[in-house]
Amino acid sequence: MRVLTSNRAVRGVGTGNGTDTRVAAETAVTEALRPLGGRRPDLVLVYASVRYDLETVLKTVNAAAGSAVIAGATSSGQLHNGQLTEPGDGIAVLALAGGGYRFGLGHATGLQADATGAGRALARAALDAAGPERSPHEAVLIFSDGLAGDQQELLNGIHKVTGFQIPVIGGAAADDRNLAETFVFAGDKVLRDAAVAIWIGSDRPLRVIGGHGWQPTSLPLMLSGVDGQIVRELGGRPALEVYKENFRPLQTGRKLYRRAGGYHSEHAFGLIQPDGSLLIRGAFIDSDGDLRTFSPLPPFSAVQVVSCDTEDLLEVGEQVVGGVVDDEEPAVVLVFDCVARLDILGERGHEEARRLQRAAGNAPTFGYYTYGEFARTTGVAGYHNATIAAMAL
Amino acid sequence: MVAYGDPQTPRFESEAETLRAALSRAEGAAAAAYRDTARLIRLLTVIGTPSSPGRLIDRTLTVLSEVFAADVVCIAEAIDDRLFVTASCGLPEDDPAFTTGWPVGPTARRVITSGTAAARHAVPVADRPPPLRDVPTTSAAWIPLSGVGTEFAGDLLVLYRSGGDLFTPADLQVLLSMAYRMYSAVESRERGAAIERLAQAGPGLARHLDVGSLLDEAVVLLRELTGTDSAWVLTVRDDLAEVTAVADNADTGKPWPRPASELPGWARLSAGEAYVGPATTSDDPVLLVPVMRDGTAIAVLAAKGRRARSFGKSSVEVAQVLASYLSVAMANGEHYRRLKAREHELQRRASRDPLTGLANRMTAAQRIDEALATSPTGVAGLLFFDLDKFKAVNDRLGHEAGDELIQQVAQRLRKVVRPGDMLARFGGDEFVLLINGATDLTDLNDMGRRIQVALGDEFPLRGERVEVTASIGAVLGRRGTASASAMLRDADAAMYAAKARGSGRLEIFDDEASHRSIDRLDLRSDLSEALEHGQLSVAYQPMVELKTNTIRSFEALARWRHPERGNVPPDVFIPLAEETGAIVPIGAWVLDQACRQLATWQREFPTERLHMSVNISAVQLERGHGELLDVIRAAGVDPADIWLEVTEHMDTAEDISSQVSALRGAGVHFALDDFGMSYSSLAYLQRFPVEGLKIDRGFVAAMGGSENNGRGIVRAIMAVADSLSMKAFAEGIETQAQLDALLDLGCGYGQGHLLSPPLPVERATRALRAQRDRA
Repeated sequence: MRVLTSNRAVRGVGTGNGTDTRVAAETAVTEALRPLGGRRPDLVLVYASVRYDLETVLKTVNAAAGSAVIAGATSSGQLHNGQLTEPGDGIAVLALAGGGYRFGLGHATGLQADATGAGRALARAALDAAGPERSPHEAVLIFSDGLAGDQQELLNGIHKVTGFQIPVIGGAAADDRNLAETFVFAGDKVLRDAAVAIWIGSDRPLRVIGGHGWQPTSLPLMLSGVDGQIVRELGGRPALEVYKENFRPLQTGRKLYRRAGGYHSEHAFGLIQPDGSLLIRGAFIDSDGDLRTFSPLPPFSAVQVVSCDTEDLLEVGEQVVGGVVDDEEPAVVLVFDCVARLDILGERGHEEARRLQRAAGNAPTFGYYTYGEFARTTGVAGYHNATIAAMAL
Repeated sequence: MVAYGDPQTPRFESEAETLRAALSRAEGAAAAAYRDTARLIRLLTVIGTPSSPGRLIDRTLTVLSEVFAADVVCIAEAIDDRLFVTASCGLPEDDPAFTTGWPVGPTARRVITSGTAAARHAVPVADRPPPLRDVPTTSAAWIPLSGVGTEFAGDLLVLYRSGGDLFTPADLQVLLSMAYRMYSAVESRERGAAIERLAQAGPGLARHLDVGSLLDEAVVLLRELTGTDSAWVLTVRDDLAEVTAVADNADTGKPWPRPASELPGWARLSAGEAYVGPATTSDDPVLLVPVMRDGTAIAVLAAKGRRARSFGKSSVEVAQVLASYLSVAMANGEHYRRLKAREHELQRRASRDPLTGLANRMTAAQRIDEALATSPTGVAGLLFFDLDKFKAVNDRLGHEAGDELIQQVAQRLRKVVRPGDMLARFGGDEFVLLINGATDLTDLNDMGRRIQVALGDEFPLRGERVEVTASIGAVLGRRGTASASAMLRDADAAMYAAKARGSGRLEIFDDEASHRSIDRLDLRSDLSEALEHGQLSVAYQPMVELKTNTIRSFEALARWRHPERGNVPPDVFIPLAEETGAIVPIGAWVLDQACRQLATWQREFPTERLHMSVNISAVQLERGHGELLDVIRAAGVDPADIWLEVTEHMDTAEDISSQVSALRGAGVHFALDDFGMSYSSLAYLQRFPVEGLKIDRGFVAAMGGSENNGRGIVRAIMAVADSLSMKAFAEGIETQAQLDALLDLGCGYGQGHLLSPPLPVERATRALRAQRDRA
């Protein structure tokens, strides 16, 4: 647990790239620590491409950052200070000191076997680490192995500890679009089939916002056949057939990243929420020709096929970031941006990074492209796809 | 809006707009319809998915939170003016709602009392729980979980939304239907889970053959199955109830035991029915279920309701099933205990000597073998001993007194043995002591001395004081080579060697003893076959009227000619025959031979009026006089011509003396052999119908000595005989001087080598013929 006395937060963001892990990590952490002017950081977040030797990355960061709470995840590209680091490269480090925050770090493994149990254990561990004294405002920042287990179940477990009043923000780890292996970081540990949580206590309100900008292209449909991550039936008909019927006409001239296994990121599912809003769930057609989602969809949910417009995506990003920046200028805006959005934005990805930074004002943006976003504010639902989530510190 | 230019455009645009709006409304309505249908199906799916009751509630609340966008969904039970949350989605797990509860608001109260659901928008502060106290936009829905007056009355499903959207009447309908379904599902799964748990644990209960551990497990199971914090088990015996098992220090109320009739609802319990109602000591409800056997309550399962919540039908049913399992398991346990006790007793009997409780022959042999096996080297020490003259005590005071003496001896010996020693009784007056840690002969000697010292004080027995010494044989067995049977054989042999040297001696086994030992064992077994192999014969020693030197009768004496050893002396084989019991057939055979021979002689020498003396043992008398009389009569002789010689050791117990009297009544005479050599009393002579005394050869021999002592004793014996109108017979006359002395004292009859040794039939017949011819 770190308790900060100074009410004024200082932060630095650093990046490193190139083939040499140690050099990249050292460059990033050194740059991140420089603005702290010798103050020991209380929180250090690390996002790294899976191309690096992750143990070395963490060893390097730990050596430099000492007793700080250190956490992070592997990414599919990063964004910081208006810059985009394309998937396949880069280490980004945030160092934060002061600001009256309390941080408690916890982690849990066994996500695949029991996501709810892991979520509960994770949150308890983080809460314990934050110490017995509770702050007036709290939030939980999580990183999860994006390819392990039911992410909403993970959130359900966390919810049992946090309750409805404490928002949850975070992202699922990614792996430069390989969809092979993702990792999360806790202290000096590199973990798979795991999740990491930081319990954040604050004197100021901690606001979590998520948004996606997707629009329905179909009428509401009933998810009548779900088999784990495979969607078999929609409204009693073969799912893939119904899904494709509802694609909107392809705009020509748009460049998309080529996706493994026929990934089609331009369309997705929207889970119809009680208030009529949609929770986006990414979907793709796998090598067997099955319509597959990243996380299981609840059977018999009401869904709509959704699609998006690049301009809508860019706008919603600005709204989300702008929404978390209040009158009092924050030290940093944490952003969790879905890699699917980056795929759709294509070359406009750089534009997004710039526009997000513009929305954040003087506070640096610091984020990565994820395989799933967490933004839980009302109800228990809070796992998203193709969404951008943000929180300011 | 009117625009210049194309007049079609505005109309078209407005129509398009109207259509778009209509489409949007239609889409919205469709989305809402799908959403409502979907949430119903999702909820039904969750409730229908197999899972534990806890998981079912958890999943349902989560889905309710999702599909109704509720910040808090919880199940709560109202107890008095507090609402205790038992499950929730949206409350942190450490929320006080779980432990100390929330105040029951007015709306919740109304829902509980009316049993109808309610929804409110902008919930008034009195109806808002602490976490939403500062959120005036809160909407809430309260759903009763069960009908008013039923066992779950007071349980609510409550949903709170901080966002302000109202729960619609349609929402309430869905929630009511879901609540009902969820609770029936939970109840049936709880019951199912409890029955399943019982089915799993029930057979396991039977493995506890000890009632204590059985009830310990049962009480934990009871608490688990009834979902209470407090559970205990009372056992009922002689109308007293006693707490015998308690789960986690449950408060069982007043001190126990107490009369069972003080238990609440005892009348129902004793009739085999469950009781649910207030406890005697508090208002908390208790569940009591009797464990019945043969129409009687032998135990009572007790559980105290949590937070004043009562027990449902399924709890009672499950507890009743548990009680019936317990009844069987307790019966099993008791059967097993009885069986075990019997087994133990049988084993004890098999391994223990019933008279003294010491180890018996079999156990001793085992223990000796074990002692020899504990270590590959070193020695084990063994003492084998019997009580000198025990037979005399037995004969004189009776078997019961003998048994009593054996018990007293065992008692004293117990004080001699040290931890690790093993004391055993081998039967009769034989004992064996295995000495723990004996290393050399000194240890054997020391222990032998301790035994003699222990037996040193006289034993009070039937108003007398009896002196007991032991003859002890000792042996050191070398581990690795010795065996229990060899050590016992050797120690036995050493004991006989000790006995031969006199009373109260200890003999250590050596090679010489080894031979004796083997001899003795061989003889024992050979003797059992001697009769059927025709190795026995009878010799007849004339009993002479001293004054006239006339043969008046014969003493029949058994002789054993061993095929390898030749003649075995009677003083060797007769004790062996007595030990082995062979004396009975041998004695009968000798009597038969003697009687037949007497009949032959009486026919040939009718004028001689010959009599026959036959030695008889106590064992033969015990078997009944009828047999002896039959033998005598079958030989065709007058019982009055037969003298049975008994020893002073002869048992005087009533049953035998009555048989002796009966024989006497038939005319048979009795003479007392070896008179004066053993414990004697004149009273004994009076009690026993003895008509003759045989003066022991020892006294006869002493008469020839320089002292007059021997003669005095003989005179005294003759005086006794005379005063009791008995005949006196002198034994062992070997010299003329002895004969003269006896004649001098007026002794009428005698036998001995001077007069004639025991003779085979032919020679005896010749002697009679010579006598007849002389006359």
